[in-house]
Amino acid sequence: MDSVKIKEYKKGESPFNVVSGHLQAVGAGIKYFVKPQRITLKYPDESMSLPTGYRGMIRLYKDVCIGCTLCAMVCPADAMKMVTDQGKKFPTINYGRCVFCAFCVDICPVDALKETGVHDAAFSNRRELIFNPEKFDQDFDQPPLRPVVRKVKAVIDEDKGIKYVPDTE
Amino acid sequence: MNILFDIRYYILYPSFFAPIILPGLIFTAILLLTTIWFERKAAARVQMRVGPYYASKRLGGYLQLVADALKFVFSEVIVPDGVNPTLFALTPVLVVAMSFLPLAVIPVSVIPPSGSIFSIYFYDFYDPNVGLGVLVGLFTQYNMLLILAIESIYPAMIILMAWSTNNRFAIVGAVRESYLSVSYDVLLLMSTISMALEYHTLDLVKIVQSGVPGILANPLAAVTFFIAMIIGSARFPFDIAEADTELVLGPATEYSGLLFVLTMAGSYVGNFVYALVFTDMFLWGWYPLSGFPGALLTVIKASILVFFSVFLRSVYGRYRLDQALRGSWKYIFPLAIASMFLGLVVGYLWIQ
Repeated sequence: MDSVKIKEYKKGESPFNVVSGHLQAVGAGIKYFVKPQRITLKYPDESMSLPTGYRGMIRLYKDVCIGCTLCAMVCPADAMKMVTDQGKKFPTINYGRCVFCAFCVDICPVDALKETGVHDAAFSNRRELIFNPEKFDQDFDQPPLRPVVRKVKAVIDEDKGIKYVPDTE
Repeated sequence: MNILFDIRYYILYPSFFAPIILPGLIFTAILLLTTIWFERKAAARVQMRVGPYYASKRLGGYLQLVADALKFVFSEVIVPDGVNPTLFALTPVLVVAMSFLPLAVIPVSVIPPSGSIFSIYFYDFYDPNVGLGVLVGLFTQYNMLLILAIESIYPAMIILMAWSTNNRFAIVGAVRESYLSVSYDVLLLMSTISMALEYHTLDLVKIVQSGVPGILANPLAAVTFFIAMIIGSARFPFDIAEADTELVLGPATEYSGLLFVLTMAGSYVGNFVYALVFTDMFLWGWYPLSGFPGALLTVIKASILVFFSVFLRSVYGRYRLDQALRGSWKYIFPLAIASMFLGLVVGYLWIQ
């Protein structure tokens, strides 16, 4: 830990240290103002291509499901609930509660639940956030109204931290 | 043609031109929107964001401010229970009026006897100190004192505003403002007096026309004045009276709609007024130029100062009240006294 140097400001030193601190702060601000290092994406125009295994919204394969209720039991946010449909139990999900931990996907003994890569969805009221088994059984996607101009992916850069490069795929 | 000439005569008459058009109402309104846009954009750049963008992509989101202004103008003004509605509606107007008034007496340029579009008014605005006309709303030889006197009414109006809204956050904000206003008014007055002692005058025109920029003649006074300007116009890091994380908006808590715009405009206009005085007193004002280009030069310098002081928002956090008071009384106040002594000594040696 000796290699890490931490700059400390001691009390009672000369006020010139205060002055140089202020000058350094303003200088750093001007440096970032002249050469901005933006890390926000202009979302509907640019969007990030997601990595494989991304935990997005979850979908159900109704014909595979055996109704064992394990997913509802393990759900930490109480988003999964079981309902009985024609004598058989199926899960419903409330995306108002879901924390996208995908524990339900992990615990499912027959792989009836799967993560999709969809994460950008908008709903106009809270009732739409609850997916009953019929809606849960279908692939859910809300494509943006305007087409995405540029797909980018994030790479780690030595100087900047995060850099976005165009995704060629 | 005669009517056109008359119209031109009255529009360019300095008593109309200075308070209404160039440093006055119209230019200040445009500068206000530009300043707020620049503040948001600069803070976004420094904080790795984009800032206002989608309202007008080609202009970098400039129209966002126009949209915000329209939204504020047409939203409802809520008058809380238990306040005097007359005072409630009147005080924001007073705040803005008191911060606008000094624009009428700040000289922005000189008028040569011939060759400028303002030359026909040469004898009406003649300044015997420098032998030139002055482009100013109301000519007086003691404009330094008059500007500071008018501008020092502004914190009193803020306190009146807080008192008339009958809100606890507003009262706390007013107490903070009263603490701060004493500390920065002292600094402003002392640095101004040091310049007056150094140049043997209370006339800003004479300081500019003397040919020596004040920032070289008395750098201590310049530093003091600049810090007092930032405290006085409630810019970061001295955004203490309207600290929006602690007191909702300080004295302006209860205001909404158009009245809120007025309360917000007051501090920006105050900043512009102080920046104009700073430009005249320390940064040579219009010096090599005169007439309309001179006025433009002064105003551009002042605008850059305003932009710099709003840029500080992206660098600094907010000081606590005691830290700001300690800074201004313990460090800046001795600097102001030193600047006064410097002014005395240099002024004694350097008789113009």
